[in-house]
Formats: sequence, C-alpha cells, structure tokens
Amino acid sequence: MQFVNQNSTTIVEYTQNHFELVLTAVLISLLLWVPSGILLTKSDKWARRALAIANIIFCIPSLSLFAVFVTIPFLGLGRQSALLALVLYAMMPLMRNVYDGVKNVDRNVLEAAKGMGMSTGRIMREIRLPLGMPVIFAGFRITVVMTTGIAAIATYIGERNLGRFISEGLVRSNTNMIITGAILISVIAVGLDTFLGLVEKRVVPRGLRVRR
Amino acid sequence: MSWKFFSEALFQKAPHALLVHLLIVFVTVSLAIVISVPLGVLLTRRNYQRFGIVALNILNILQAVPGMAVLALALPLFGLGLKPAIIALLVQSLLPIVRNTIAGLLGVNNDVKEAASGMGMSARQILLEVELPLAMPIIISGIKTTTVYVVSVGTLASLIGAGGLGYLIMGGLALFRFEYLIVGAGLGALLSIFFDWALSYLEARITPPGIQVE
Repeated sequence: MQFVNQNSTTIVEYTQNHFELVLTAVLISLLLWVPSGILLTKSDKWARRALAIANIIFCIPSLSLFAVFVTIPFLGLGRQSALLALVLYAMMPLMRNVYDGVKNVDRNVLEAAKGMGMSTGRIMREIRLPLGMPVIFAGFRITVVMTTGIAAIATYIGERNLGRFISEGLVRSNTNMIITGAILISVIAVGLDTFLGLVEKRVVPRGLRVRR
Repeated sequence: MSWKFFSEALFQKAPHALLVHLLIVFVTVSLAIVISVPLGVLLTRRNYQRFGIVALNILNILQAVPGMAVLALALPLFGLGLKPAIIALLVQSLLPIVRNTIAGLLGVNNDVKEAASGMGMSARQILLEVELPLAMPIIISGIKTTTVYVVSVGTLASLIGAGGLGYLIMGGLALFRFEYLIVGAGLGALLSIFFDWALSYLEARITPPGIQVE
C-alpha cells in the first residue's frame, strides 16, 4: 500500500500509457479486421487462407513477435512495433468471429429476406450483422482482454506501461512493485472482461446469447 | 548481424533452451490434462452439476488475468525457478481443457447414452466407452489451445528464472543481439505452430467421419 501511495504519479502515467496503447490497437483492429471479416464471406477460398494465416500468427508467442519486429529496421523499439504486433494478434479472434457471425446466419432467414426483395447490402446491414452480433461481440471482448494482457509484455520493447512494474520489479527484486503491477493489470483485465460481459447482455438479445 | 553470433545462438545456446522449454510444456500440459479432464467429468455428473457453473466462472476470471501477471505473482509466492513457473502456467492452462471436456460431454447425444444403458452398460462403462470417445475431439481441441498457450507464455517463464526460449529472447533484447532474438523468437514460433498443427492433425484423425464439422 505504501508503495502505491509513494508512486501514485508513476502509476497514473503507466496506466494512461497502457490504455492509450490498448485503445489505439483495438481501434485499428476494429477498422481493419471487421471489414475484412465481412469481405471474406464473399470468397471461401480467401477465407480459408486468411483464417489459416490468422491462426498461425495467433500461435506465435507474443514475446517472439515483439522481438522479431524490433529487428525490422523501420519498426524498431517502441510503439510502432507494439501496435503492429497487437493488431496482428487481434486478427484471429476479431476477424474470425466477424466471419463466423456473419456467415452462419440461419439460411431460412436469409431466404426470407431475399424473398422480401432485400438487396445483398441491405441483407448484410439489417439481417446478417444484427444476427451475427453475439458472436462478433464475443470476439471483440476476447480481443480487448487479450490486448490488455499482451500490451504489458510490450514493456520489453520500450513501452512505458503497467508491464514495466513487473519487469522492473523482477530486476530489482522489489516484491511490492511486482505485486502492484501484477494486481493492477489483473484487476484491469478482469474488470474489462466483466464490464464487456455486462455490455454483451445489454447489446445482445436474450435468445441469441453465446455461452462462454 | 554476424554469422558468429548467429551460430553461437543456434548451436550452443538454443538446444538447451529448447529442451527446457519442451520440459516446461510437457510437464504443464500433462498436469493440466490429469487435473482438468477428471474435473470436467466430475462437473458433468448429476450430483456435482451445480458446482459446474461456479467452477467455470472462477476459471473464466482466472483466464482473463494476463499470463505475465500470473508469472510475476508466482515469484513472491513460490520463489524462482522451474517449479513456480510451471505452477503459474498450470493455473491458466486448466480452463480450456475443463471447458471443452464439459462441452464435449454435454454434447453427447442423449439417445446414444440411453441406448448404451439399454444395452446394459454401467454408468462407468458408458463414460469410458461411449461418452469420452465421442467427446474426445473437443477435448483434444482444448488441449491444443492449452499447449499453444503454454508454449507462448512459456517464453516469459525466463523472467522468473525458469530458462527456456525466453532466455534467448530476453538476452537478445538486453544485449541488442538480434541474432539471439531471431533464434529464440523463431524457435518459439515454430514450436507453437508445430504443436498446433500436430494436435489439429490428431483431432482430425480421431474424429469419426460421421461427426466431422466443416
């Protein structure tokens, strides 16, 4: 507790940096992967390829991915590398869930919509997206929580965020520092998860909820 | 970049690091299977079903905690070395297997179970000869998730002195030796992609053709 009082300014600064990184990464991911997930429903061949790539990227250990980006000259240490890695990680949960959600809509509903004379674009906007919402939102929730966790690791490539308490604490064998960092990150991650879970309940109609 | 450092990293440092990493993965995943599968089975039996949701919620919350934080917390609790790292990784590797075991067992068609008990099979026989084999593809898929996760977070285990491939990466970052970075990171990536591929293959192999999903 004393540690927290003494270092409140640093804690606030690191938390701010952490959220900045997570927010930017999530925003870019949304802009990139939601449209591409929707586009992929047009072509099975490309969908299979893109999802395979996303799966491979998702497998790569986060520390490895950060480390590899550091060696690429124009990325280097710092935010660009961290952002790129986080956005690539988000590809798997986000693009996949958008694709699944939009693709796996009940065929009868689609036929009915077509029979009513709806255009493809309107079917996408008024049928596929709303009905796919539960799956899409589940993907969004996973992305946010995961990004928060992985962002902490970016401290090793020069991000000044909450992960720094852990890395510095380990180097200095400062237990208070480690515990502060670890608990802060955990609380934020669990808090975000719970909060998004509540939002999920609001956004998603009762009948369509995904069980996690 | 120099070949000297590269070969030093690849041929002198990497084999040991890789072995330690594999050790961490195998021990953690085996322990996770030994704990999670029976737990999942227990939580689907009628008498214990009411604990199921509670257990799943607790594990769900644990899952949201970042791996780095769990590893870091293991240090003050259990000290340095391999054992604390394995305990920390184990905590988070339980959920995917428990969840998939439960999902797999609940997914077994009731008619099949009734047919089995109509044939005079005991509850134990139904579990071992009907339910588990039918749920196996889903359980394997959970094991796959866990394995990839352990390989990935295992690179952080070097933070608390457990060694492994993270040791090369951290060393490379600290000394700015890109050769070490590339060897450590590359091997880590290859290892998890390999496990993902191998377990996917196993999953596809043991799925009976009749219940395969595209």
